[in-house]
This record gives sequence, C-alpha cells and structure tokens, in this order.
Amino acid sequence: MLTSLTLMDVQNLENGALAAVAGADSADEIERVRVEYLGRKSELKLALRDVRDRESGMALNTLRERLETAIDGREQELRRAELDRQLTQDVLDVTLPGEERRLGSLHPTTLTRRIVEDAFLGLGYEVIDDREVETVHYNFDQLAFPPAHPSRSHRDTFFIDPVRLLRTETSPSQIHVMEGKKPPIYMVSLGRVYRRDAPDATHFPIFHQFEGLAVDRDIKLADLKGTLRHVMRALFGDERQVRFRTHYFPFTEPSIEPDVSCPICDMRGCRMCKYTGWIELGGAGMVNPQVFVNVGIDPEEWTGFAFGCGIERAAQLRHGISEIRPFWENDLRVLRQF
Amino acid sequence: MRVPLSWLGDYVDLDIPLDDLAARLDTSTAVVAGIEHHGVSDDDGNLGLFRVGRVLEAKKHPNADRLQLCVVDVGESEPYQIVCGAWNFGTGATVAVALPGATLPGGLVLERRKLRGEESAGMILSEQELELGQDHTGIIVLDDGEPGTPLGDVLPLQDVVLDLEITGNRPDLLSVYGVAREVAALFRLDLASPPGRDPAPVGNELVDVTIEDFDGCPRYIGRLLRDVRIGPSPLWLRARLDAAGMRPISNVVDATNYVMLGLGNPLHAFDQTTLAGGKIVVRRARPGEKLRTLDGVERDLDPSDLMIADAERSIALAGIMGGEDTEISDQTTEVLLEAANFEPTGLWRTSERMRLRTEGSNRWEKGVDPYLAEQAAAWATELIVSLTGARFVGHTDAKGVLPERPVVRFRPEQASAFLGLEVAAEEQEDILTRLGNERRDGEYVVPTWRARDLVREVDLIEEVARFHLADVPFTLPVRREMYGRLDRAQRVRRRVEDTLASLGFSEVYTPSLVEQDRDERALRLQEPITVELALLRTELLPSLVETARRNAEVGNAPVALFEVARAYLPRGDAELPDERVRVAGVAEGGFLHVKGVVQALLRSLHADASWSRAQHPLLHPGKAAETEAGVVGELHPALLAGVWGAFELDLEELAGAARDPVPYEDVITYPAIHQDIAVSVGEDVEVGALVDAARSAAGPLLREARVFDVYRGEQVGPGKKSAAIHLTFQSPERTLTDEEAAELRGRIVTALAEDFGAELRA
Repeated sequence: MLTSLTLMDVQNLENGALAAVAGADSADEIERVRVEYLGRKSELKLALRDVRDRESGMALNTLRERLETAIDGREQELRRAELDRQLTQDVLDVTLPGEERRLGSLHPTTLTRRIVEDAFLGLGYEVIDDREVETVHYNFDQLAFPPAHPSRSHRDTFFIDPVRLLRTETSPSQIHVMEGKKPPIYMVSLGRVYRRDAPDATHFPIFHQFEGLAVDRDIKLADLKGTLRHVMRALFGDERQVRFRTHYFPFTEPSIEPDVSCPICDMRGCRMCKYTGWIELGGAGMVNPQVFVNVGIDPEEWTGFAFGCGIERAAQLRHGISEIRPFWENDLRVLRQF
Repeated sequence: MRVPLSWLGDYVDLDIPLDDLAARLDTSTAVVAGIEHHGVSDDDGNLGLFRVGRVLEAKKHPNADRLQLCVVDVGESEPYQIVCGAWNFGTGATVAVALPGATLPGGLVLERRKLRGEESAGMILSEQELELGQDHTGIIVLDDGEPGTPLGDVLPLQDVVLDLEITGNRPDLLSVYGVAREVAALFRLDLASPPGRDPAPVGNELVDVTIEDFDGCPRYIGRLLRDVRIGPSPLWLRARLDAAGMRPISNVVDATNYVMLGLGNPLHAFDQTTLAGGKIVVRRARPGEKLRTLDGVERDLDPSDLMIADAERSIALAGIMGGEDTEISDQTTEVLLEAANFEPTGLWRTSERMRLRTEGSNRWEKGVDPYLAEQAAAWATELIVSLTGARFVGHTDAKGVLPERPVVRFRPEQASAFLGLEVAAEEQEDILTRLGNERRDGEYVVPTWRARDLVREVDLIEEVARFHLADVPFTLPVRREMYGRLDRAQRVRRRVEDTLASLGFSEVYTPSLVEQDRDERALRLQEPITVELALLRTELLPSLVETARRNAEVGNAPVALFEVARAYLPRGDAELPDERVRVAGVAEGGFLHVKGVVQALLRSLHADASWSRAQHPLLHPGKAAETEAGVVGELHPALLAGVWGAFELDLEELAGAARDPVPYEDVITYPAIHQDIAVSVGEDVEVGALVDAARSAAGPLLREARVFDVYRGEQVGPGKKSAAIHLTFQSPERTLTDEEAAELRGRIVTALAEDFGAELRA
C-alpha cells in the first residue's frame, strides 16, 4: 500500500514533472526542475524514504528512472541547442582555399600504359617488360624480316655494332617469351623502342610501344579484330568504331592496320584526324608461320595474332596533345595537368 | 607510287567513282596517302577558256625589249592581243592560250590588263603554267591545229594522281600496269594486255653480253640501237613522267623511266660507243675498283658489289645507278639498252652501304618479276625507235635458270576457319583466279609477279582476307589455361610511382640516349642522329638534374621530379648490357628532406634498409648515403644552384626488399614499454651505429629504436654530441615486466658505453 502518495498522486506527479521538463528552455531551468522533482526534499524522494512495501517501492523507483531519463534527455537537447546557437557566431569563409597538400603527378605515358596493361590483364594476358638493347637475330631474323627490309638499314635503326642494336619495336620480347615456354601464350609487352627519326615537333627517335601476342589453338583473324576493338575502346571510350586495312609487316600474315574513329572530334573532322574522321593507329596481323617455325612452335597446331601501337600516340589522342614534344620536355606546367 | 589516272585508264576501264576506287584500294591493297588533282581545274567551265591559238602577228612590245606583242586567233570573231615574255615562236605558230577569266593550275586568275601600256587579254602558256612539266624557258609550240579547238583535246590538261604507299611485299604494284591489274581484280574489270609491242630488229648485230654471276643477275637482255637522235621527249610523255613524280631528261632516258613506271622493271641505257670492247660483263667488283656514278660521286667498290662492266672496267652499279662515263649525252647516237633482272639482297646491301637509293634500287630490293625483262625490253625498244628514229639492230637475251612459279596447296575451309568468316569456296576461287593464280586440283599456280610473296597457304588466305576484311566479325579468343597478373616487380613499380606522386613528385620521361656519361664504357651508337642522343646512359640522375634545371629556370617552383627507366650497364665487348630498371628523383630540399622521401618510399613497400656513408660524383661529399638499392644525398652544389636532394635506386633491389605479404605482428594484446635514453658520444660516431648496437644488444624484444634528437652544447662539451633515442620494448607473447625492460635498457647502455664510450646522460 502506498503511504504518503496515492496511485493518483503518482500519476499527477509524473504529469506535472514531464510538463515542467517540456517547459524548461534553459540549462538553469532544467536544473531547477531536477531539484524540484528529484532533489533530496522532493515529494518523490520523501515518499521513497517512507515507503514500506515492495510494490510501492518498485513503482516509485520506476517513476524516478523515468523522470531522470526525461530530465537528462531534455538537458542534452538544451545543451546542444545552446552549442548550436554559439556556433552560428563562428563562421568561416568556406570559399577560402584548403591547406596546400602538394601532390605530384604521373606522366601521360604512364597513365596510358596502365590503361593498356589493365585492359589486357582483364583479358587474361601477362605483362612483359623486356630488354631494349637487342640483337639483329631477335629484332629482325627471328621475326622473319626479309634480308633487304628497309628497317634493317642504318638509316632507320640505331646500331651499336653489326650485331647489337636498339630494338625498333617491342616484338623481340614475343620471341623471348615463345622461346621460353609452350603455348598457350597471351602476353602484352610495353616499353621503349627506337627509330632513327630526326627529333621535331611530332617525332622523337625514342618512343613507347605496347605489343600483344596471343598463341593458342584456333586463334582466328576475327579474334584479332575483337581484341583490337576492345583495347581501342578501353583507351578511347566504348563508343569508338574500329575499321581495318590491309598492310604488310614481316612477322604477320595477313597484316592489317586498325583505324579508330577519331576520339577528338567523334568523326566530325578535325586536325588530329586530318578531317577524315579516322585515326590510323598501330599495326597487327596473324603471326607469320615462319616466326613459329623459328621458335619451334608447330604452325599446323597453333595459330596466333600480334599487334602493336605507340603509347605516346594513344596518349596524344586521349588528351588531345597534337605534338610529341611535350612528352619529352617534362615541363612541370604541363606535367602538373595530369 | 604516284599513279596518274589518265595513265591507269590505258589498261583498265575506270568507270568507277574516284572515292570508291580510293577506298577500295585503301582497304584491300595499299594506303592511299593522297588524291592529287593535277593541272587545270574543271570548275565553272574553266576548261573552256583554254584554247588552241594561232599567232597572226608577233612583234616586239613597243615599250619593253623583252616582251612580244602578239595577235592571236582563238577561234572567235576577233583575235586577242596578248603580251608574252617568250621568244621561242613567231608569227604563224600554233600555241596554247588561256583567255581572260581562266584559272591556272596554281590558282592564278587571268584578267585583261595593261602590260607596259599595251592591253594583254589572256596568256600564251608554257608547260610549267599547265603543270605539264618543268620547262619554262619558252611557251608550248603545238603541232598544227585549228584555232579555237579546246586545248584539252590536244594536251593532257588535267589528271588525278593517286599517291599509293606500296608495302614491301608488293613490288608488282610499283608500276602503273601492276596497279591496273589489281584494280581489275578488285572491281572485276577487264585488263588490257601489257603495254609494248616489240619492233622487229632491222639488223642482226652481235650484242656481246656475259653474265659471270647468275646468282646476282639471272637475266640480262641487251639491245643495240643505232642512229639515235637525242632530244626532248614529246609533251605527253613529259607530262606523264611529271605527274608520276619523275623529272624528264631526254627521249632515251625518259623512255627507260617511263617503262619502269609503267611495268615496274627498271632499265638502263648506255652510250654504246663508250663501252670498251663494245661489250657488257655482269660481275662482282674487283678489289680496289672505283666508279664515278652519274651523280658525280666517286665510289669505292667492294668485291660483293654487283657491277655492270665493259671489257675493262665497271661502268654501272647494277640496278642502282649508272656510271658517269657511259651515260647518255646529247651527242649519243648508239644506245645499248639494258633490260635485266637483279637479285634483291646483294643489291640492297650495296645500296645500304653506299647510302644510295634510287627508283631502280627501290624496286630491285623488293624483288622484280624475272620474267618481266622481256616485255620491258620490247616496250622500251618500241618507244626509243618511235621517239628517236633509231634502228633496232641487235638483241641478246642472256639468262640463267629462272625460278619456277610456286605451286601452293590451298584449302578453302582452312581459309574460312582462319578468318573466322565463312567465305564460299567458289568466291575464294574467284578471288584467287582474278589475281592471276591458276587453279590445279587443290593447288594454285602463282603468277610470276607474285612469286616471292605467295608461297604458302597462309599467303593465299591473306588474298581472300583482304578482299573480305570488313566482313570478318569481332570475336575474342576462347582462352584456356591463362590468367592475367602483374608480377611482383610490376606491382612494386606501380607502388613506387604512386607513392612518389603522392609525395609531391611529378613523373618525367627523359631520353635513354645522352651526350655524355660518367662510364666511359657506356654503349655508343654507330650513327647517332644528333650528338645529344649518342650514348646509352648508365644512370638516370644527370638527365633528371638537367630537367630540374630547365624547370627551375622557367620558374616552375617547387621542383620535384622522378623517373622510372632503364640504365644500361655495359658488360663484355660483344655482350648485351645489363639493363637495370631504376627509380631516380631530384627535388628541392636538403639531405634529410630527400632521405625522408626515400624512407617513405621504402615504408610504402614495407622494405628495410640500412644506410652508410657514400661517395658519389654527383652528390655532396659529406651528405650522401647508400644502401643495397642505391644512393640518396644532397646534389653536389656545383651541379645546380641551391640545395637539392637526389636519389637513384634499383627497382629490382627494392622489389627484393619489399615485404609482400606483410607479416602480421600482435602489437595490441601485450602492452609496450616506452623509454627514452640520451647518451653523449664523440662527434664522429654516427647515430645509425648507435641504433644498430642497441638492436644487437637488446635483441628482438626491442621493437623500435629511433633517434629523435641530437644536441650539441656546453652541457655535452666540445667535440661531443648527445643523442636521444626512443626505445620501445614489446613481446608478442607476454607482458614484459618493468624489471625486464630495465635489464634490456641496461644492456643497451652497457653496449653503447663499450662500443662508443657513450655516457648515459638521462
């Protein structure tokens, strides 16, 4: 049995307390409410002191917990409101620049190189980075260059002596890989190559190339077309068109040259595509069976395709750089754009 | 190869839109590098303003000594008065006239105007103004013709020239007739017989030809022509040569060039009277022999060079260039015409060694059909006889064994499988047959003009492929047993690039060829293209220093650059160099700044390094350190103004040191005990040695030992410094007691005292 407080009194007490909590609109007021309803001399505390039976005790203690929760909650609300009021005075010009964190940059050649690597990793190719100083044997003979091919000339190729030279394409690494293991082979080789072009705005005797090779059973010309379209789209966007023209390279038969629809003007015609809507990009073909014979792979059992393309050239098209010069000038004003 | 369409039209009916012709050739045959409209434009009736005219009167201009005042009948009611600067004609001459309003090939529009006070209505034309040739010494004097006749009826006023980039496997296309044959096959057109009808000889004189080297020269047709009258070629011939890109010279030389362009077989004409013994010998050069070629250069011959000789001496570099002594001159009356066949490789080697390329060598080195010489001889003889009035009096055909036509097995189903496109067997047969192959059971007999290129089944498949290239679908290989991945070194390389970029470094690419290198054995190019690009560098730093300098000069501060590239370390004389992939960087800031960068780089790879003092010519002698992977230091101040840091590290060494995967250590479960000590040591003691000594004294329970302060001052005394070291003791297996930590600390202090005389200060 309740002694000093009846059930009705308890209900009234709670209603009054909750109304006072709701009405408190400052930290001081909520503190007063706390003292009034939960303080040592509060009606509730006094009643608790006098409580004699378990049932009443439990009821009053539950009420105390409810009131404490309400008061604490209101107090936090009021403190937060007070903090927010203060913060409205603490205003910064948010258009000021942030603190400088110096970031460097990757060269566009590297950026393009990674796109190519990732495109071929996705197709299941291994990535090769091979030597640049080569022999006539690997750079020409094994790749089935005819004895009188112009690339063998001192006019086109940098020789160190009659045997050693700077590779003119990344293809010698195809030979290294094919000599090193049995098919199937899916590889893409990336790196520097060298041609005896006089340096000017659009030429430099050193450039980078990526070159891929697939050797497997039943590789078809159609597979080459599909693979090239894949890499062109990885480089220049999924909306690119790709077409092919007949060409000649010693190490492929048949040989083809891909054209990609101009990523700069989207075929409307611009300086980059010489107003044709198409950009000539790289060379490709089915592996010449003679190359397979040279490395001990049976051309009746295996077929393959190979393709190559300049990395700077692809980077030029990606970024709209009309000259080759910026790639080797390394002016930070240019590099920091990337 | 420049192909004038007017000429092409002699052999195949070109009733095809030009764009279709070019597009088809471009896809299936050869890159069309250009379509050039040559000569007079046809726009707006322009052609109608070019007429045949007759000079009714020609006299000196009253006010100018060098000009003629002409009255010219151009077929209208009134003649025109035209002022002309040429004097190679007079009254009665039939000339080519452009009337006022006409647009000349160069774009000049003619107007009625006064020249030195006299009206001039139009122009009397020279070859050059019509783009018919180079001759501008006089105007064109036509054979008789009716005034007013459209000039286009008597002169080739306009032409379209296709500029084709012929690939090395198709020497048959280095001729107008060869291109016509290809066009006929592509478009299913009829092809005329090869040009040239051999005139019957009017004598049976001996032409003394000996081939001593059938390997180099399987065939040599020699023809003797007497009573040759050298003079200029007729306009039509000069116009065609000009359109095809060759300069007209004289009727005999032009005839040989015309046949070369038309059929693809280079020819040569000798002045027969200059040949010792009147004979031709095809042989290798003799040791020490020399020849002055007709470009005026005296050339040292090598015994491997194939020569045309007479009874005594060499008179021509076979297939490449004739000699000066025996060339056709204005006085020549007896001509020995050479229509031969030369083997490609040896000829290429000679041409390559002499750095001498000609229209002839360009064809021979790709392989000319050995059966072509006969037709070429016939056509050239016909032309020389008709152009010079010569008598064809002698003929010799010396030949070895000419190669058989290849017979190639061909399976149409194999071709379809190879392409990934089903092409009907009949269609395949049709393509191959149109290209001159003859079917015989499951085989094809290849035409002589493709005998070097079509020798295997795959070569014939290519012929089908290039006709159907656009129809081949886009597929991807059905890949087996392969997966894509970057190897460890490649992953490290990407990590290095990304880390340096995020540390504020910009990546550069500098040439691997340099002007100078510290290593005197650095590989040198035989023929560099410029002195700046002559040696293969053995280190990256000099190029980066140079790049940093250029950036600093243009005010690109702050400068921080890195590069990942190869260094080419020479090995033996004939050996390939050891190519090392390196990462190098140069940035503003002192030693500790750049070492901090390298440490961050190592941390990103989870690699440890121990550093020791180093000497490096590019670095400050007192501020350079090295580890297994390379060097870091302050740039030698003589190299670049200001304080700069630099590093060059071997990527493979870094990859070897990189911990991947990183082994997990439990650093949470059992607390660490942190202690700092400060010891005073002599100035010459390196703090790295203190840390090393501390580590070996305390063993693996010392998880970290880091120098955080070095102090010099009165409290330590002269010649000494105080090093403060932060020590962290921790075990992954249990909580260390304070006593254990104190014991470890004591061992460290003792070791430092014993090794370095270190005194504990705190």
